[in-house]
Amino acid sequence: MAEIRLKNVSKRWHNFVGVDNFNLDIADQEFLVLLGPSGCGKTTTMRMIAGLEDISEGEIWLGDRMVNRLEPKDRDISMVFQSYGLYPNMTVYENIRFPLRVRKVPKALHHEKVMQAARMVELTDFLERRPAALSGGQRQRVALGRAIVRQPSVFLMDEPLSNLDAKLRVSTRAQIKNLQHTLKVTTIYVTHDQIEAMTLADRVVVMNKGVIQQVGTPTEIYDNPANTFVASFIGSPAMNLVSGDIENGTFRGPGITIPGLQTDVKGSVTLGFRAEDASLISEGGELGAAIYSMELLGEATMASFRLGDQLVSIKSGKEYRAEIGDVVHAAIPASICHLFDARTGVRIARIPGG
Amino acid sequence: MMVTKRRQPLPLAVLSTGFVLLWVFMAAFPFIWTVWGSFKVEQDFFSRDSWWFAIEGTRTIARTGSAFTGDGYYGAWVLRDFFSSVINTVIVTVSVVVVSLTFGTLGGYALARSGYRYTFWLLMLALVFRAMPHITLVSGYLLPFFEMNIWGYMPTAIIVLVAINQPFTLWMLHSFFLSIPKDLDESAMVDGCSRFQAFRLVVIPVMWPGVITTGLFSFLLAYNDFAVTAMLLSQPNQTMVPKIASFLGTVQQEGNVMFAVAAVVSATAPLFVLVLFFQRQIVSGLTAGAVKG
Amino acid sequence: MPHRAFFAFIMPSLAAMLLFIALPIVSVAVQSLYVQHERVVTEVETCTPFSGCTKETRVDAEATEKLRNDEPLGRFNGFGTYLDRNHLAVTEIGAILSDNAGFKDTVARVYNLPFYRALAFTLTYTFVVTPFAMLLGFCIALGVNAIPPFYKGPVIFFSLLPMIVTPLVGALIVYWMASSQGILGATLQVLLNDPTLSLKSSAVLTWITLLVYGIWHNAPFSFVVFYAGLQTVPHDTLESAMIDGASRWERIRFVVIPHLMPLATFVGLVQLMDNFRVFEPIVGFSAEANATSLSWSIFNDLRGQVDQLFGSAAATSMLTIVGVIILLSPVLVRTWRDFNRR
Ligand SMILES: Nc1ncnc2c1ncn2[C@@H]1O[C@H](COP(=O)(O)OP(=O)(O)OP(=O)(O)O)[C@@H](O)[C@H]1O
Ligand SMILES: [Mg+2]
Repeated sequence: MAEIRLKNVSKRWHNFVGVDNFNLDIADQEFLVLLGPSGCGKTTTMRMIAGLEDISEGEIWLGDRMVNRLEPKDRDISMVFQSYGLYPNMTVYENIRFPLRVRKVPKALHHEKVMQAARMVELTDFLERRPAALSGGQRQRVALGRAIVRQPSVFLMDEPLSNLDAKLRVSTRAQIKNLQHTLKVTTIYVTHDQIEAMTLADRVVVMNKGVIQQVGTPTEIYDNPANTFVASFIGSPAMNLVSGDIENGTFRGPGITIPGLQTDVKGSVTLGFRAEDASLISEGGELGAAIYSMELLGEATMASFRLGDQLVSIKSGKEYRAEIGDVVHAAIPASICHLFDARTGVRIARIPGG
Repeated sequence: MMVTKRRQPLPLAVLSTGFVLLWVFMAAFPFIWTVWGSFKVEQDFFSRDSWWFAIEGTRTIARTGSAFTGDGYYGAWVLRDFFSSVINTVIVTVSVVVVSLTFGTLGGYALARSGYRYTFWLLMLALVFRAMPHITLVSGYLLPFFEMNIWGYMPTAIIVLVAINQPFTLWMLHSFFLSIPKDLDESAMVDGCSRFQAFRLVVIPVMWPGVITTGLFSFLLAYNDFAVTAMLLSQPNQTMVPKIASFLGTVQQEGNVMFAVAAVVSATAPLFVLVLFFQRQIVSGLTAGAVKG
Repeated sequence: MPHRAFFAFIMPSLAAMLLFIALPIVSVAVQSLYVQHERVVTEVETCTPFSGCTKETRVDAEATEKLRNDEPLGRFNGFGTYLDRNHLAVTEIGAILSDNAGFKDTVARVYNLPFYRALAFTLTYTFVVTPFAMLLGFCIALGVNAIPPFYKGPVIFFSLLPMIVTPLVGALIVYWMASSQGILGATLQVLLNDPTLSLKSSAVLTWITLLVYGIWHNAPFSFVVFYAGLQTVPHDTLESAMIDGASRWERIRFVVIPHLMPLATFVGLVQLMDNFRVFEPIVGFSAEANATSLSWSIFNDLRGQVDQLFGSAAATSMLTIVGVIILLSPVLVRTWRDFNRR
């Protein structure tokens, strides 16, 4: 049993705030992903959980233990580092065995456990090699093997895939997901890659500048971003955001007018919609403008428009063709639109039934 | 950079701090003691009764009326003409540093930029040369130098010190040059420089830190040398270190040991200043050799 | 870089090394095969009216001088100098081995031969000072690494002093303190309750002082290199070890020491080379009565103002060079193998 509870956790260096008032409950066996741009405090949060970084304020609970004062080794966690942190002077076998060795696990059990872990990460052919003689992906698996050999109650992974090439990333991602499923261990996974977050996570925590922006399942975060930051960070391309004014349920921006929004807000707002929800049409529609650029994506075509000083993209079928400069129209029905407060960026709830 | 928190358990922290303090004391005390003692009379610094005298200067007060005396320095610098050896030292060390660096930067640059196999052998040869005890080389010089009538002169000692210095200088500058990207001089050559111009106008200006560090070590070698300067310089051309050595015998008989003490302190002072100002370069130089060599 | 440019650049440096390092080694090799001319002796008959004539042998100073000036190398002696009493002492060793009263006696008698005396101290110094200085340097590095950053600068400053100081001067400073009227010597007399104890009279004390001085002088180098090495220990690996459950000592043993191993090889090599030529401390401590080294023997042969024993110095030099090569050979062999594998 290992739920993790973070209560008002903060981290400060002098007067720089790395993590601000972080509150989160992580359920047992959950796969939680910390997602956010570089420098937002993901690693810091994870290192505080690991005990590698002191906590300035707040409490961290692992199960029913408050672990603020515990040494990393006493927290029953294991961690995979971005650059793996392998022991260069030991063979793969010795690397995986190391946690057992220093934790005084009876010698007789070592071989079996190491072999079991090695089989899980498919390293049985390389046990006698040193890390220097392995490829990036293999090293990564050694780090994984070392993390699972001891069956800890929590896994921490800090951007474990960021040093791998695109193809290997996909397969290792699947392997990590499968391992977590098999071992049923609470996992916290740090990444700045939203695809990783979407595919792996039970729940995603989106962070920015040390502050939690939103916590939710990948679907929730994608479909109902809590603010403009999340909206612009999640999805590829990110959600289109257009600023304008709203009155009586009709939004007016540069070159765009959307009637029928179920809300009673007035004044300036930010309107958001996803490229794939809108569609290009020949006549009418809510938007009419000259095409700024065309991108062929293979499975689709992306047309972008310049509205004021913002770029708006709209996806269309792969056969769609138009030239830059052609004036086209787009259908952006009110039902696909999200509204955000223009000043704070916070989502404006629709009137129920809207 | 993440900084791992270091919570040392208290006993360990006390132990390790205590150890460092003890070491600092051991490293510094001899110097402090000798500098302090050099301003006393011999009966205090080499007291037969109690070394407490050396601290309070009991006899010094009795003899000179004050707790400190510059007699040792007066004796060494004025009576024993230590001054001329200081000038000789300046001439020798400055020349050695300048010539060493000139030869060394040229050679080190060539070694770092040539891709051929013989560079490896040259570096190995330099390593072997570096290991030769200086006094064995000196025993090879003496007879030929006598025969050629060039024994005793400063230029002879200078060129010999430069040569002895070369293996080390080459290694060090070689590794510094390796850390400068090849693109730099190659683009200069494409832009129309000759190899030498590229070296002088483009590479050297970015090499200053390495050159200064290497220069420091050349300086130390020349300044600290005893074997070469003691054997190859005639009496009037002697530098400080052999001068101090030749003091020792006579001065002890005459009961003027304090002259030697004062001379020793005088010879150490420049090194103090050097470490004070160039600590970082010295540390990086010692390490550069280790990490790359 | 084309060959021509390469050689143009390296010429000054190479010429200096060949002229003043390679050539002297050849010169030493040649000199070692010669020995100084014996004095020219003439027989002079002096006749006095009363006692008749007596034959007398006399040194002909003029002729000696002339001969020595004409042939400064002396006369060819082959390997004679190498084998004589002052060097390898082959006959003496033979005699000792064939006729001795046990192991102790053998050692004592061999130790009385000048070359073996020097060799004994040189080797002891090399192989005691090197490991202890490295160990001390490593401990200091660990200690300094743990103190607050603010104090590191001053600590490093003081730590560098013993290394940077002129060896002769450093030896003198310690010698004065350790002499029976200096602070250390006097304290030692009190502690051991032996008022006659002094460097001059005790060979053991001289050796110990020289060795301690050597460690004091050499430790800073190891310290600085190891300290710099500690700064580059990979953080991730260290933290992995922490999470894997390694204690402080296990982290040092499994992560830090393996990381510093290549540096240790380098430091060890440099210090072996430097300690093998130990010389200045013996002059500074005026220790020649109790301890001599190979370098000091060469110096001593060359120092004689009247009779400089070039042949003898050269023979010792050659033997020293052989020693250096033996010390270096593991490195050279390994480098050679590495190089050929590439
Ligand atoms: N030891 C430190 N002292 C001061 N500031 C620090 C320290 N460590 C990290 N920071 C700052 O804290 C902030 C959060 O850092 P953190 O490493 O957690 O970011 P991250 O989200 O993991 O970013 P990335 O995706 O680039 O790894 C950064 O702005 C960083 O500069
Ligand atoms: Mg990070």
